[in-house]
Amino acid sequence: MSVNSPLQDPLRFHRKTPPCAVVIFGANGDLTKRKLMPALYRLAYEGRLAPGFAVIGISRTPMSDDDFRARMHDSVSRFLEDSPFDEDLWRSFAQGLFYLTGDVGDAALYKKIGESLGGVDEEHATAGNVLFYLSTQPSQYGEIAEGLGAAGLAKGAGWRRIIVEKPFGHDLPSARDLNTRIQAHFAEEQIYRIDHYLGKETVQNIMAFRFGNGIFEPLWNRRYIDHVQITAAESIGVEGRGAYYQEAGALRDMIQNHLLQVMATIAMEPSATFSSDAVRDERAKLLRSVRILKPEEVADNAVAGQYGPGRVAGGAVVGFRQEPGVNPESTTDTYAAATFLVDNWRWAGVPFYIRTGKYLPKRVSEIAIHFKSAPLSVFRSSETPGESLPNLLILRIQPEEGISLKFVSKRPGAGMTLRPVSMDFNYGASFGERSPSAYETLLLDAIIGDATLYTRQDMVEASWSAVQPIMDYWAAQKFSFPNYAAGTWGPTASDAMLARRGHVWRTP
Amino acid sequence: MPTATAIRPDDILKQLSAYWTDLGHAGDPEETGGLLRACSKTLICFADEEENSQQLSETLASLMREHPCRMIVVRLQDGEDALAANVSSQCWMPFGHRRQICCELVEVTASINRLADVASIVAPLAAADLPRVILLRSARIVRAGALRKILALGDKIIVDSSRQGAPGFGEIGGLLDAGHTTGDLAWTRLTPIRALLAQLLENRNPAAIVIEYAGKEAGPEARYLQAWLQTSLPDSQVSLRGNATDGHRDHGKPVVVRVDKDILVRLCEGGAEYEAGPIVHRASMPPGTEEQLLNEELGIVVHDRVFERALNHITA
Repeated sequence: MSVNSPLQDPLRFHRKTPPCAVVIFGANGDLTKRKLMPALYRLAYEGRLAPGFAVIGISRTPMSDDDFRARMHDSVSRFLEDSPFDEDLWRSFAQGLFYLTGDVGDAALYKKIGESLGGVDEEHATAGNVLFYLSTQPSQYGEIAEGLGAAGLAKGAGWRRIIVEKPFGHDLPSARDLNTRIQAHFAEEQIYRIDHYLGKETVQNIMAFRFGNGIFEPLWNRRYIDHVQITAAESIGVEGRGAYYQEAGALRDMIQNHLLQVMATIAMEPSATFSSDAVRDERAKLLRSVRILKPEEVADNAVAGQYGPGRVAGGAVVGFRQEPGVNPESTTDTYAAATFLVDNWRWAGVPFYIRTGKYLPKRVSEIAIHFKSAPLSVFRSSETPGESLPNLLILRIQPEEGISLKFVSKRPGAGMTLRPVSMDFNYGASFGERSPSAYETLLLDAIIGDATLYTRQDMVEASWSAVQPIMDYWAAQKFSFPNYAAGTWGPTASDAMLARRGHVWRTP
Repeated sequence: MPTATAIRPDDILKQLSAYWTDLGHAGDPEETGGLLRACSKTLICFADEEENSQQLSETLASLMREHPCRMIVVRLQDGEDALAANVSSQCWMPFGHRRQICCELVEVTASINRLADVASIVAPLAAADLPRVILLRSARIVRAGALRKILALGDKIIVDSSRQGAPGFGEIGGLLDAGHTTGDLAWTRLTPIRALLAQLLENRNPAAIVIEYAGKEAGPEARYLQAWLQTSLPDSQVSLRGNATDGHRDHGKPVVVRVDKDILVRLCEGGAEYEAGPIVHRASMPPGTEEQLLNEELGIVVHDRVFERALNHITA
């Protein structure tokens, strides 16, 4: 709803979308079933979608509109989280669901899409606004953008936007090539590159924490911060996605996109305003400041790992190479850790350690800011073990979203005995209300036209630039995999990487 | 000179402190996950003694999840000189978590003639630096002479004008005139339908809007809705009309909104059906429970100008 509407009530009304049609390529895929359609239904449930709303699903599987509606009904009722399923509302929502069968390489498909959009606009009053969502194989992104452009669908009576799922390329040259192909038909402000990590409430809360409070920002620099650790650990393996995963690996799948974006959110300069471009300019500047490793520096600053057989949650699990669909000699990294340095005045000399992996002991995503120790050990004594502990600020993304500050305190009683204690803020305790899923947030933003939480071409290219030397170096190595047992915290080389700078990984 | 039934706030605070220490020592934190003491505001609830205490406790306990607060419940009774207090806590374990979250509860029982003393007890018990919200559920307190002292305790006052014995529009207007941030749950109930109407009426300039209400007399919700639409769309004619066919439903509440000949909104169980163009749509609007309404109001601790504009229109 327009902010200038005389009926607006910003204290109470949620943001609502303008009328539009959403065209989903890959409508028969897992993402559509598990995430996109439940998110759109949930937006309808909350009354955030305009009455003029429709979805056109596209895939190669032949299906009627009614078949599509039935499948989506099953998916939404199954995968809807934290919400009741309202059959009456579904019937109303499903009136706006349509389906087209076709091959994205066939020009006739785009003609059909154009005709269907015309009909939908007439019947559902979508005002000519269209959001294209590419949820297909990444290799088809360029082809679809070109098909839409050639059919004249990148422009229309209303606005036209295109959401591209990650990965944006598989390395820097392919990312550039993809950008060129899409930008031949869509202007940059029409392109929404989705990184669902940025849609997570707690990642957004990092900005609120840093820029909404006055007390932390003065400490947020090389003078007071010793180093930063970013961990995204998964306690599961590849879960039947071995064939896909062995083409990607942990560095490409997590660090190049999600975790470098999280790092940018932690380290970027405050933007002058909270406008989309101002925030993204700062993120992009930070990513461009990440030092590019020279080939001879990679071995000391990046570690690849692959899990072997081990025990997880009390049961035995197979190694990655024994997973279905995985090459028995695969050299894919299921664990990756890297040290990044940021060459700017604020962060010069402060290492940012990032690690991610499959089959680690627990599922946890967090950022640990390690502050420098007190300059003088006033309480030096054998009875003060806590004194040597530096202050830690933990920003927990999942689970138990929240913020903890670790500091030392005097133990009650005679004598000056110190003990580490924790001051905790629990996101769930303070805001018991339901948090929207990342896809709800991001879809709503795209329909409204707010690209703040989407990545821009320069950000994508900057993050590929940061990991490209590591990928090149690893491609030339013969790794002795597996090098960590499932259920452990990764290869010992990862500990050695931190030890070289006198640091140790925190155990979350 | 303290009377025999005096309550010292310091003693209550000490009791609370001891209570938390005991809770903290109960069980091994490594095994139980420990507990988290949470407080984002002070909620002071005035209720009459006759009110169903279990129902009230359940309502207030459910608020804690979204608005963890120090809760002070004052139960007012007629009759003899009475003043007593005790402390307890409300704890819950969030789904999938190991650590309990706990909020503190102080219950004060007072006879209406001790209301002035209640103010002096409650004021020091409020959590420092956090918003203080007063929930007025007692009809007794509205008639009491010491009301002004009580209201001075709160940054925000919440009433429900659709409750029997609750303050009417004139009294709520008086609270606004006295500078209090005020919320009325009768207004809060309208948020979903107002949001829907705002969307349907965007970029429109209707000539006439008719709000039909159940029964013969418009209730607070219908009157608020009319006032909101009229003040938002001053060039439109917004009128109220009784709808005898829906008289069996909640008396006085809005049931149909007609916008010229283009839009028809029917409020039905759990939602609304609306015709805007050739298609009949449905919007989900689960009936707001009291805790949902209170959650919304507790989230707003600044002056609500839209509400105030509508109220002023009614009381003018």
